[in-house]
This record gives sequence, C-alpha cells and structure tokens, in this order.
Amino acid sequence: MEHAIKVTGLRKVFGRHAAIEDISIGVKPGEIFGLLGPSGSGKTTTIKILTGELGQTAGEVNVLATNAGAFGTAEFKSRIGILSDNSSLYERLTVYDNLKLFCKLYDAPLAQIDVMLDEVNLKDARNKVVSKLSKGMKQRVLLAKALIHQPELVFLDEPTSALDPGNAAHIHRGLQKLNDAGTTIFITTHDMEEATELCDRVAFLNNGKIQELGSPHALRYKYSTHAFHVETFQDEWLVIENEKENADKIGDLIKSGKVKAIHSDNPTLGQIFLKVTGKELV
Amino acid sequence: MNTQRIGAIFEKDFKDFMKNMMLLTMPVIPIILAIIYSRLGDGEELPIPMLYLIVGVTFSSVTASSMMTMMAEENEKKTLRGLMLSPASFMDIIIGKSLVVGLMTLISLIISLALVGIEPFLNVQAIIGLLLLFLFFLFLGIGIGLFTNSIAATSAYLMPVMFLFGFTPMIDFLGLGEDSLAITIANYFPIMQLIEMHDTNSWLPIGIVAIWTLAAAIFTYICFKKEKTDD
Repeated sequence: MEHAIKVTGLRKVFGRHAAIEDISIGVKPGEIFGLLGPSGSGKTTTIKILTGELGQTAGEVNVLATNAGAFGTAEFKSRIGILSDNSSLYERLTVYDNLKLFCKLYDAPLAQIDVMLDEVNLKDARNKVVSKLSKGMKQRVLLAKALIHQPELVFLDEPTSALDPGNAAHIHRGLQKLNDAGTTIFITTHDMEEATELCDRVAFLNNGKIQELGSPHALRYKYSTHAFHVETFQDEWLVIENEKENADKIGDLIKSGKVKAIHSDNPTLGQIFLKVTGKELV
Repeated sequence: MNTQRIGAIFEKDFKDFMKNMMLLTMPVIPIILAIIYSRLGDGEELPIPMLYLIVGVTFSSVTASSMMTMMAEENEKKTLRGLMLSPASFMDIIIGKSLVVGLMTLISLIISLALVGIEPFLNVQAIIGLLLLFLFFLFLGIGIGLFTNSIAATSAYLMPVMFLFGFTPMIDFLGLGEDSLAITIANYFPIMQLIEMHDTNSWLPIGIVAIWTLAAAIFTYICFKKEKTDD
C-alpha cells in the first residue's frame, strides 16, 4: 500500500458554500500527518469525508486502499479509529463500561481496557461514572476509546485541546509510541508546538485549499531568512547573514568572549501560517 | 447482523435504562392504570376497548416513549454517531435497543394484563396483533428519536403518538356520533382494528395493522438515511 490516505481533487460544497475547494494529499503508511488551519477552514469536513461521515461533492478519496463507497463496511470501520468533535461517552456508565462496549463492538480483547487506561493515565478512574469526570479526563477516555481496537489508521480532531500541558505531553508520548508501532495518524490541531513535535508532515488548510505542505523542519527552513541572531553579554542582538564571508566575523565574536548565544531565525509554524495565509491559527 | 455487537449494545442500554429514572418510571404507568381499572366494577371482566386502552398506554408510554427517548438522547449527546462509526450496523444498534425496550414492555404488559384480565389475548391472532402493534410503536419511537435532536423535543412528539395511537379507544367517549368523520378515520387506526379483531374471524384487521407497521418501518428507514451522514 503506497498511501494510507490518498485524496485527489477533493471538493465539498454545502449549498452555495464550498467548504473544500480542491484538496490533494497523500499520507504514507506509518506517517503522522497534521492538517492545520483556523476554525472554519475545512479541517473537520475533511476528516468527516475521510471517515465516511460525509460524502464528497467531487474528487477521489481512498483510505487504506478502500474507496469512499466502501467506508460503511464493518471491515473498513474496524481498521480506523476516530476522535472527533462528534465523539462522546455514555455519561451514566462507568469508564470501564464505556470502553467495554467499544471493545465488544470492535471485537477487541477486554484486556485492552486496562492497557489503554494506562496509556491515557486514567487507571484510577476505571470504575468512575463518566459524568463525574473532568473535561480533560473525558477527552482521555475518548482517546482510549478511539485506540482500543489498535487501528491501522487514527483520525484525531484536536485531541489535546481540553488537556493541561502535563496530560497533553503524556498523550503525545502515547501517540508517538503508537506511531512507532506502525499506526498512521492523521491529526488536526491548532497547537503549533504539538504539530512541530509530533508531525512528520503538515498541510496548511485555508479557505478549503491546501496552501503549504511539508515537514515542519523543511517548512521552517524554507521560510527562514537564513541569518544568525547573535546575543551578546551586553544584551545586544546582532543579525549576521549565513554567508561564507561572515564565518570569520562569527568566529571573531566567539573568540572575543562576547557571545552569550547564537540563534537561528527559523520561524515557528504559527508564524509561517500567518505569512502564508494572512491569518492567525485560532 | 452480529450477535456479539447486538449483545454489547443490549448490555449497555440495559445498564443505562436501569440508571435512568425517567425511563424507569415509564413501565410503571400502565401497571398503575391497570390497578385502578381492576378496582372498577363489581369484579366483572373489563370490556375489550378498556383492555386495549391499557395495551395502548403500555405501547405508547413504554415502547414508543422509551425508544424515542433513548434514540434522542444518543442523538443529543452525539453517542449515536460513535456507534454508527463503529463496525456495528444500524440493525445491530436497533435490535440491541429494541431487546431492552421489548423486555421492559413485556414485563409491564404482562403485569398490567394479569391485573385486568389476560384471557382475551391468549390466542394466536391476538398475539400476532400485539406483536405487530409493538413493532408499530417501536418503529415510531425509533423514527421520531432519530429526527429529534433532543430529549426535550421528544415530549412534543410523544403527546400526539399517545393520544392518536395509544388512547384511540377514548374517542368513543368524546360524543362525536357514530357517523362523524373522526370516528370513521379512527376506526382504521391500529388499536381500533385490534379491538375489531375480537368481533370477527377475519384476518383483515391484522392486515391493516401490518400496513400501519410497514408504514412506520418506512418512516424509520427515511429518518435513518437522514441521520446516517451529515450531507
């Protein structure tokens, strides 16, 4: 399988409004792919089309070598995991009962419940009623639910939006571990640090179009001015272009003992997004 | 269909039903009504229309009401989408839920009829009629539950279902006159057909109830198609 997700010329129109204009992306198996964009840019619509919740107006959609027409089959559904804004839990039931339901629906062993609760740092909440949990804890149970059947491909729509930094970091480690085991992850997020840390490649989605695509590292290099920012002990900042003839200048500064630190000027993904789309990622 | 998935949904819905006070009180309503009716008269058997009033209350307040509340809650809390995105088919989901609602209806109906007189229902024709009537109310409950987006909205739909299809025999007490259009139309309603069934050997009343059930099934299917995707 060359691509876990292959989308060509995807277009989705609601009434007169085109939520997605023209998207073409290919996500490789085992990749963590991030779709970044402000609210209303078409991220959730894209995920809904990729998971079969929505039909496309035009274009080709292929997920795990399955065409969109077969997304409703039990075989396809058991190969993917979804955490979206539509994901929810049974509030009157315990965490265990919620996960037990999905274990049985996906034909996964019940032993997976404790494994997943450990992964999302919720072992102690196993027998708690869901309505008594905090928003962040519920989000972690939802994540456990999405991953309980060890899917080949996971769609995560803002997975850490309700989490504190500690738990978000815990989830990131879990996702990295999951990815190391071969799971492909398609993630949407507003969190640029999260995207930089987790994603192998990211796409900037704006007004239903992909405006930039590449690895976070490559994008940051592409939009860099390739200059060094030298901070001195006198709190001065010197900008030195990354040119051959400046090598001695930097060397002399270091030898003089004035240099406190040398920084690259690689922009953050958020700054690049602003530059490319003219919009903040909110 | 997959029995393991049906079993999982049944187990989940049964636990949820037992923790939901609103749903738990529903099966008690026909039983209380049956207790009141059983005290009426001097130990005489209740007339068939009165018995079907209890049947109508059971099917509307337990079957249709529970089903539409369960479905509407799944819709409102967005848990239905989670089930539909899982390998469980719509049939698995509906059968799992229907088994819970069916069990509660059966318990409530048997207790209620045992209090007022179960003998008129102990024949094949009556049992088939009750089964069709159960399915009719079940489909109505599923369909309404699918297109309403909140539990609060279900009460607005439950009232017409109860009064039109559950309390149909009450129309005789409105003093409309035998020839009125309302009475003529009401006579073709499912419960009235089942009452008529006791006065005839014909299977026509069962056939008419079957048509009502089929119409309710089509209504449910249309609601399902609408709910299945966000298109």
